[in-house]
Order: sequence, then structure tokens, then C-alpha cells
Amino acid sequence: MKVIDWLDERFDLSDVKHFIAEKGVPVHAQKVWYYLGGMTLFLFGVQVFTGILLLLYYRPSASEAYESVQFIVTQVKFGWLIRNVHSWSANLLVGLAFAHFFSVFFLKSYRKPRELTWVSGMLLLFLMLGFGFSGYLLPWNELAFFATKVGTGIAGAVPIIGPFTLQLLRGGEDVTGATLSRFYGLHVAILPAITTALVALHLLFVQRQGMSVPLAIERRLRPGERLPQMPFFPNYILRDVLAWYVVIAMLAALAAFYPWELGTKADAFAPVPAGIRPEWYFLAMFHTLKLLPAHILGIEGEHLGVVAFGLLAAFLVFVPFLDRRASRGERSPAFTIVAVLGLVYLVAFTIIGHYAE
Amino acid sequence: MLWKILCGACFFLLMPASAFAGQAAAEPNTCLTCHSTLPDQALAAPATLFRDTDVHRERGFACVDCHGGNPLTDDKARAHDTTGKEAAMAFRGKPSGQAVIATCARCHSDPELMRTFAPKQRVDQAAEYATSVHGKLLAVGDTKVATCASCHGAHGVRLVSDAKSPIFATNVANTCASCHADPKRMAGYTLPDGSPLQTTQLADFQASVHFEALTKNDDLSAPTCNDCHGNHGAVPPGVGSMANVCGTCHVVFQQKFEPSIHNQIFDKGCVECHGNHKVAKPTDEMLAAAAPGICTPCHTAGDKTDKGALAAETMRTGIEQLKTRIDRSRELIASVGNDGIEVSDQDLALREAASKLTLARTELHAFDPARVDAIIADGSKIVEDVDRAGQNGVAELRYRRRGLAVSLGAILFVVVAIALKVRQIDQRRGGH
Repeated sequence: MKVIDWLDERFDLSDVKHFIAEKGVPVHAQKVWYYLGGMTLFLFGVQVFTGILLLLYYRPSASEAYESVQFIVTQVKFGWLIRNVHSWSANLLVGLAFAHFFSVFFLKSYRKPRELTWVSGMLLLFLMLGFGFSGYLLPWNELAFFATKVGTGIAGAVPIIGPFTLQLLRGGEDVTGATLSRFYGLHVAILPAITTALVALHLLFVQRQGMSVPLAIERRLRPGERLPQMPFFPNYILRDVLAWYVVIAMLAALAAFYPWELGTKADAFAPVPAGIRPEWYFLAMFHTLKLLPAHILGIEGEHLGVVAFGLLAAFLVFVPFLDRRASRGERSPAFTIVAVLGLVYLVAFTIIGHYAE
Repeated sequence: MLWKILCGACFFLLMPASAFAGQAAAEPNTCLTCHSTLPDQALAAPATLFRDTDVHRERGFACVDCHGGNPLTDDKARAHDTTGKEAAMAFRGKPSGQAVIATCARCHSDPELMRTFAPKQRVDQAAEYATSVHGKLLAVGDTKVATCASCHGAHGVRLVSDAKSPIFATNVANTCASCHADPKRMAGYTLPDGSPLQTTQLADFQASVHFEALTKNDDLSAPTCNDCHGNHGAVPPGVGSMANVCGTCHVVFQQKFEPSIHNQIFDKGCVECHGNHKVAKPTDEMLAAAAPGICTPCHTAGDKTDKGALAAETMRTGIEQLKTRIDRSRELIASVGNDGIEVSDQDLALREAASKLTLARTELHAFDPARVDAIIADGSKIVEDVDRAGQNGVAELRYRRRGLAVSLGAILFVVVAIALKVRQIDQRRGGH
């Protein structure tokens, strides 16, 4: 407390103290969904921390990347733990980010006045996918090499800008050491910089506007009625910390019992191994593109599929501006149906994609 | 009859082949026109075969280049004129015996001509053939023996590299067996030692490791009949040259075997232990002076005075011990590898140990247990190091799991503490 008094004397922390004392979280049946954002943020912190530790040993070149990861998991003290936690945490992070996204979608928390919170959140979700895609290649193993070849090939199928995007991502015609350097730069510098700024903005919005009350619950309130509030400090934050501890326990168990396989070193001249598929969070998209016929209405199927996914992403970003009914505080079943269909599609195609040949 | 054949052969050999080669390529070929429509298949089939796929026709040769006659007329008598008035070469009909060799050799033994069609191809086939059992028997009038056409076909001849050719690596055994597996045809023929020529070669070969490699593993470098017996100069390999024949492929084994005591004793070299046509996949069980070992005809298991039996037992024990240790080590490494310990170095080392095992199996052909022991000792040292790494892996896994249990205990403690604190705060604030 002396430190706070010392700081208060110099910086006048009365505003901050007031904010902490007054900040509350609405209490209702759906409040459990509030924890997902915090857990996702916590995992992002884990990623930054373990990522920095991995950086101490990782070497981003085609000739050394695989060996350096091998060195990390075999020679570096607790290197195996750091690498496994980083890999598992990445997957849990994407999973929780999707869960957070769907919970906000279903609760219509994107509605006015939180449109920009939603937009920043959607961009963060895309950034997380970008982290996953770029990080997958970094160990420079066979599976990642060929999956990146396929993945960047899909990016190359975007009409007009596709060939340029492909060159930009790969740093040439094919996946080589140049691609690895690019993905490394993207993974450890460009994406973290953008993500940090967006996370700060996202949190600022959340703190400034407070937690959204689900539309269905808000509609049941009588005029002037306010939901009971739980103090953010310490009641809510302690619950958040409790959830983080559960996440840590899960990560530790996964890292110890299901270590992330390193596989064999990438070899551009090796035959394409069987069962090449991207990370699970790209499986639904990958499998959809695979199922598309070669030509639809005279247009190449894959091109059309990539454009459709682009439009879907744009639609998701602009959902708060499209769902006018929710903005007015009215029920918007059409968007609920869209969310249900989206969830069913994502789960079904991920499972089908996983078991498909 | 014989003098006719020999005269025919001389005629063909003396004629400049280039004078005929390809001459009819662009000209009408009434031979094919007539023969392909003949009801007698013996006369029609050659024309059909030649017309469909034939390496000679594809290079511009025609019927007359081998058979003579006039291909420009549809008059049967003029076409088959044997006087030489109608065409550059009188009609010869179907060559047989030495005439077949002469017909083929007219081009195939002409280096200048062959250079224009197949510069890489050898031109000594006829000379080689003359040294073969087939050639020698033909020279003394045995017309049952194989000539060029027996193996290559007369019409519809394909390149050796053509998988449909009867002399393509995978077809050679069946081609040879068309005569050699026929007891009637082989009746009366004997081996150099006077014993009757067997007809079980194909069946034996089909049960061999070489046949399996050739036909099931698609290894075209695996030997078939001609790789040991020669093709144009086909003879049974002599007893003394047996190790050399096998040694053309199994070089290291030959090197080990040559200075060994067995090389001085064995009449048939490698064949004594491995057989000839029915070469089975070698196993460690073969190395024993007791059944099912193959040392039994000469050595006695348990006889302390039998140095050979003792040597076999020593070498076999060493090899089996190393094999067992490698297997056990591989299981250990696979197990810790599955649990997440990085074991690629150990995998590599085990591969090296396995190659030591192979080396030991090779070395035993010198029949010197001390040399085998030295290799076994090297292999065992590698396995020891791998085992040590494996045990370290097991200890590391135990440590990780203990660490996890402690961590989870600590986390659980904190979680419970926080939960209790939350409850306390909620109750104090009349919470929710």
C-alpha cells in the first residue's frame, strides 16, 4: 500500500481508484460467457511469454530452423515444456477465441454501442489465425512445409491479387527458406505489433463501455431497472484468475502427456506425404474448397470459394452494422439462425475434414 | 540338308547387309498384303505380327531383308522366285538352324551397319552364341536347340527394354523355361558331369529370393537366368566360377569367402550352402550344425572337437544376442519417443547398430569367429549408449510427470484458495 500511496502522491491516482472501486460486472444467468475473453487474453500472454523464450534459441533459416527446435526440446532445460506449452496454448487460444466470438454473436453483444469492440475483436480473431498459420511453418518440418504450400496456394487463388499475394507470402514461386524468413518476421514482429495495438484498443473499449448485457436479458428488464452488479475488483477479477489457473493446469497436463510432435525435417524434394492437412481451425475452409467442383458457372471453383470466404469474413466484420434490429434493441432471429448455421457448418466440416482422406 | 543350311548361311553372311537394309521401307510390300489374308495361320501370323509391332519394321526393314524374294509383285511365283532373277536376293523361305544365326548376324554382327541403328548395341552375339551350349550343339547338327528367334521371336520382335519382350528381365525365366521346363524336349541332354539335365529350374527359381526381388519388389537388377548363365553365350556356370558368378553382385561376400577355409573345401562355392536356382532368403537359423542349420552335412553339433560347429555356434550366438539387444533397444526408444522424448539421434544410432548386425552377417562368410565378434562388440557398444539414453528418457518422463503432479497440486491449492476467497468476498458484500 505504501507504493500506491507513494505513486498517488506523485501522479494523483484518484481517477484510477475511483474507476476500480466503481467498475462492476452485471450479474445474470449468462455471465459465464464473460470469462472467455479474459481466458483468451491470458493465453495470448502465455504465447508472448513462451514465444519470447523460444526466440532465445530459435534460428529462422531453412538449414537451422528444424535443428534449433530439436535443440530446444532436447537440450534446453525445460525447452520441451516451453515449446509444448506454446503449441498447445496456440491451439487453445484459437479455440477460445472462436468460443468468445460465438458467445458474443449469440448474445448480440455487438449491438450499438459496441460495434467497434466487435470489429476490433473480429480483426483480432483473424490475427490469431494469422499467428497460427505463420507459426505452423516455423519448425520447418515436413507436414508444416507441405501444408504451407497448400495454404499459400489457396491464398494464390484469390482473383486478381492472388498471384501477387502468393509471391508476397512465399517470397518467390515456391515455399523456400525465404518463406520461412517472411513467416518468422510476420509471426514475431508484424502480427504481435498489430495485435498488441488492437488488444489495447479492444480492452479500452470494453473498460470504457463496460460489459454488455445479453439482448434477451436486457429486453426482459423493466424501464429503469438495472441488473445487480458484481464489483470487478476483486470479485470478478479473482474469478478470472481462477479460470486462468484452470487453463494453466490444462496446458501443463497437455504438455506433459501429449507433447507436440516435431516430425521429420522438411525436404522440398521429398514426395508429398499422405494426409497433408492444415491446422484444425483451417480444416472447415480447406475441406469446403476441396469439395467445390472444378468449375461453377464457368468460374474456377477454388477462386469462387476463396472469394466467398472473403465475403463471409467481411460480413462478419460488419455484422453490428447489418443487424439493425439488434441495434434498436429488438430481437433479431435471422442473425441467431446465421450464427447457429455457422457454428454447425464449422463443427461439421472440421470433423469431416479431419476424417476425410 | 546340313550343307544346304551352311551354304545358305554363307550366302547371307557374304551379302553386304547394307545393300538390303531398309530397302523396301518406302516400297510396296506385297508379302504383307498377301500373307496377312492367308487362311493358314502358320503363314498369316508372321505377317500380322510383323505389321503390328516389330522393331525391325519400325526401322525400315521388310520381309525380304530376311526371306528374300520380290515384294513388288502380286504374282506368287515371281514373288517366291528362288533363282535370284526377280530380286536382289533370291527367295529363301523360312530360315532354320544355322541359317537363323546367319540371317540375324548379317546385320547384328556388322558394326558399321549397327552403328547407324543402335550405336550402343554389341555386335558379338553370333560369336558368343558359337561358344554357348546351344551354339555348340547346333554346330554338330542338333536343331532342337535355341537360336536367336527362339528367345527374341522371329516376327513381332521387341526391344529388350520393352516389358512385353520375351527377353525383358521379368520374362526371361519363362522364355528359357519354354524349353528347359519341358521334360520331353530336355530328354537326353546332360550336364557336364553326365547327370541328366533337370527341368525344375523354373519352379526352383520361382521359389527363390531373386525371383521375389525381380517380380514382387520390381527390382529389375535382381538376377534371372541370363545373369548367371550368360545370354547369347549361355552355359551352366562351371563349378570353379560359381563364387565369381554370385560375386558379380554379392561382391563383399565373395571377398570374405575367397580367403576362407570353405573356399578351399567347397566344390560349388556359394551353391553349397545357398543352392543355385532356389536361393532362399538367408536367415540366422541357417548358421548351425544342428537342424535346421545348413552346416549339418559336414559338421556335428555338440562335438567339442568339431571346430567348425563351435565356430558356427559362437558366431550365431553373437549375432542373435546383438539382434535381440537391438530389438529391445528399439522398443525402449519407440516407447520414450511416443511419450514425447526426442529420440532421432538414438534412431540413427540404432540404424548404425543394425548395419553392424548386417556387417557381422556378411563377415561370417570368412568363417572366422574373431572377426565377427569384433563387429558384434562395436554394435553392442552402440546399443549400450542407446539404452543409456533410453533409460535417461524414462527417468526424464518420470520427472516430468512428477513435476506435473506437483504443479497440479499447487494449482489446485491456489484454485481452492481463490474459490474460498471469492466466496468470502461475495458473502461479505452480500454477493451473488
